[in-house]
Amino acid sequence: MLRFTLRRLALMPLLLWGIVTIAFFLSRSVSDNPLATIVGERNLGNPEVVAAATARWGLDKSLPEQYWLYLTNLLHGDLGTSFRTKSAVLSDLGTRLPATAELALFALVIALVIGTLLGVVAARRKGGVVDGAVRVAALVGSSLPVFWVGLVFLFVFYATLGIAPSPGRLSARVIPPPDVTGLYTVDALLAGDWPLFVDAFEHLLMPAFIMSLALLGTVARLVRSQMLEEQGADYVRTARAKGMSRGQVLDRHVLKNAITPVVTLVGVSVGLLIMGAVLIETIFSWNGIGTYAVESSRALDFPAITGVCLVGGVLFLVGNLLTDVAYATIDPRVRLS
Amino acid sequence: MSSVRPSAPQRRRTAARAGVVVLAATALAACSSTGPATTDRTGIIIGRAMDVNSLDISRSLCDTCQIYNSAVYETLVRATPDGELDPLLAESWEANEDSTQFTFTLDPDAVFADGSPVEAKDVAWSWLRLQNLQGLPSYFMQGITGVEAPDERTVVVTSAAPNSAFLNITSASYMGIVNSDVAAENGATADADAATSDSAEQWFLANSAGSGQYVLDSYAEGSEIVLSANDQYWGEEPNFSSVTIKEVTDASAQLQQLQQGDIDLAMQISFDALDQIESDESLTTDVVPSYNFLYLALSPGVAGGEALQDVRVRNAIRMGIDYDTVIDATLAGNGERQSTGIPNGFEGAEDLPIPDFDPEGAKALLAEAGYPDGLTLDATYPTFSAYGVNSNTEMQSIQQSLAEAGVTLNLSPVDFSTWGDAIGTTGYPVTAIYFAPDHPDTIQYFQYFSLIDGSVWAGRARMPVNPEENTLVAQALAQSGDERTATYAQLGQLMYDDAIILPVVNPKYILASSADLEGNNYDITRNLDLTRLTFAD
Repeated sequence: MLRFTLRRLALMPLLLWGIVTIAFFLSRSVSDNPLATIVGERNLGNPEVVAAATARWGLDKSLPEQYWLYLTNLLHGDLGTSFRTKSAVLSDLGTRLPATAELALFALVIALVIGTLLGVVAARRKGGVVDGAVRVAALVGSSLPVFWVGLVFLFVFYATLGIAPSPGRLSARVIPPPDVTGLYTVDALLAGDWPLFVDAFEHLLMPAFIMSLALLGTVARLVRSQMLEEQGADYVRTARAKGMSRGQVLDRHVLKNAITPVVTLVGVSVGLLIMGAVLIETIFSWNGIGTYAVESSRALDFPAITGVCLVGGVLFLVGNLLTDVAYATIDPRVRLS
Repeated sequence: MSSVRPSAPQRRRTAARAGVVVLAATALAACSSTGPATTDRTGIIIGRAMDVNSLDISRSLCDTCQIYNSAVYETLVRATPDGELDPLLAESWEANEDSTQFTFTLDPDAVFADGSPVEAKDVAWSWLRLQNLQGLPSYFMQGITGVEAPDERTVVVTSAAPNSAFLNITSASYMGIVNSDVAAENGATADADAATSDSAEQWFLANSAGSGQYVLDSYAEGSEIVLSANDQYWGEEPNFSSVTIKEVTDASAQLQQLQQGDIDLAMQISFDALDQIESDESLTTDVVPSYNFLYLALSPGVAGGEALQDVRVRNAIRMGIDYDTVIDATLAGNGERQSTGIPNGFEGAEDLPIPDFDPEGAKALLAEAGYPDGLTLDATYPTFSAYGVNSNTEMQSIQQSLAEAGVTLNLSPVDFSTWGDAIGTTGYPVTAIYFAPDHPDTIQYFQYFSLIDGSVWAGRARMPVNPEENTLVAQALAQSGDERTATYAQLGQLMYDDAIILPVVNPKYILASSADLEGNNYDITRNLDLTRLTFAD
């Protein structure tokens, strides 16, 4: 497994170079010009301002020159400066990524815990009312558009009932914790500030739950179908013949085997959750990487677009690698080579 | 070393205990919570969709920048709500007879946030940097040939040509004064090559160097700007210990957060929600006129705009717009019609004709111009939502009313970057956009919209310069008082007759805040004047 992991890690720079190259040329292949958003409507007719902006952002250089400069800087850890935010892209990503990561990880935990529980319950009560209810709930959860659910939840629980906290990562006038990981719940705990942790946790709850819905439904259905499939396996019959109860067999053996495909799902989902968080982030004023990606794309902010693609690439590659390793760890039948 | 592996039931019990401990700790924390550390109610939270392009005053150009710049930096003079100029950093000022030289005397008490005095060298440095950066607001220094500091308190500005508007221009928030020593230490320069050698923009994202009532505490792009009171402030004490401008993109979210008390003031409430706010006793609201406007721009000189070369066609389009219906559709009736590219309330706009919807008159004019069966035009515009108006709703409403007048408008909404790329090159025969003022002088509208040398829209419309307008603008810049007002009115009429810029609506503005906040306002140069806001006792 070590050789496999090392080989995959060694391939990673090559894959990332490919991602960066595609993102670089693809973003610049659009016919529009980012200068419109850089200098604004009022200055578009001002040749001095347009010339200064063109030179400042390196847009006067040829594409190969720009590409070479970008790669050279990248090797020094410099992802460039955002046309839009005017700060270093690395710094922007360093601020935005933890916000989304906190949301996505929490959503993942909710999806896995609740999804697995629902899946197990449905499998154990196959054909019953509970099974039917879980299947319908899972289907509804997977089908509802998150922006709609988000708006409805906000209207009901925040604006009408007043029991949910305001959109955003913390309440109004609350001072954020000292920045260590960028994850407010973790940083609040590290600072030993329980009230702050609770505030951050409460703010996380609703957007993370809504974000988890689609995955939760998928996990529930997957666990249910896998468990039902495994129940017909020989080892289940053997275990039952040895005197184990149905519940014991399901908990100790079937669930373990049924959960294996969920690992694959999780590996892929981490990247998807983080990179697809834009709707939830917009509705819940969550200043994460999803909104950053969309705003950068709308402004044709080339350095930011390429930076986001790079981060997305790293997340997917690492996610896939961890999935493969976890898969082999959980299921001894899998051999990595 | 050996270890004893616990049995499955033991492991489950341990896990369950751990879970219970975590839940109990969380519940305990929640129950015993005295609340997290907060800034107290002496601070104000403002909700708005932020449009910050920079926190470097000399590179910034946006509505939120106006609020930030005027809170953190100070100008030499400030524009009052009735358009007069009051002293700020300058205690007095004078212009020479032909308005080519302006002399300011600085207030000796003025100090920056670090306690150092505001000196003439800081003014000269700030304005030269503004000019040499060739940034977005550099046009404020257009035509200025020198800024000198003969002594610590005197600033002398020289203009190549008469420029009586300069005093008004200095009240624009972008003309604020920066502590030159502090900024220079952090990469800023006012040298002639500042456009390439200045490296301070990122420093300004985390720091401020002004003499205003507030200093920058923190800035999280896309999230919030937090200002704290300047302990060293040399004038009247700030009304708030802190000012937070919070990103709340959506108008309905602004309303929800205002109602829940999470923000104290909402800046972009939709007119659809006006009844709801007015019936809420915890909120206070007022609808006031603004100086912003949305307009249709006609470009006779671009491909596809040939028919527009006849001024009768342009006038027919003006007559074919059902203004009241468009205002109803976009702003629930909360807007005014406007004559030409000068907003209502500005000097020179008083007696200009206000357009009326007259489809029959429009048809007659089109027939006279050789289009008895009407004509078809392409209208390409950027999709935006500005000052409560959605460009798609606006253009669809215009399209419907023009159809009644015999003009078929083919609408093409595009991204702003697409629009911006084409507007200066191929151009669009018909387009729509908006404008907001920077300062209280009407000259900005002629410099942008009229058919004079260097005007943005003269270029975009590919229209020849009108020598009369050229002469009148130069004349106005050498005049003052009533004489200048008369010239502005004359220029306004010429701009109306050009029929290149057809304002569609001058939107009103909703001032919405918590009921205990007094002094909510709409300000020409500051957008929101924080000095007028205060919590009721």
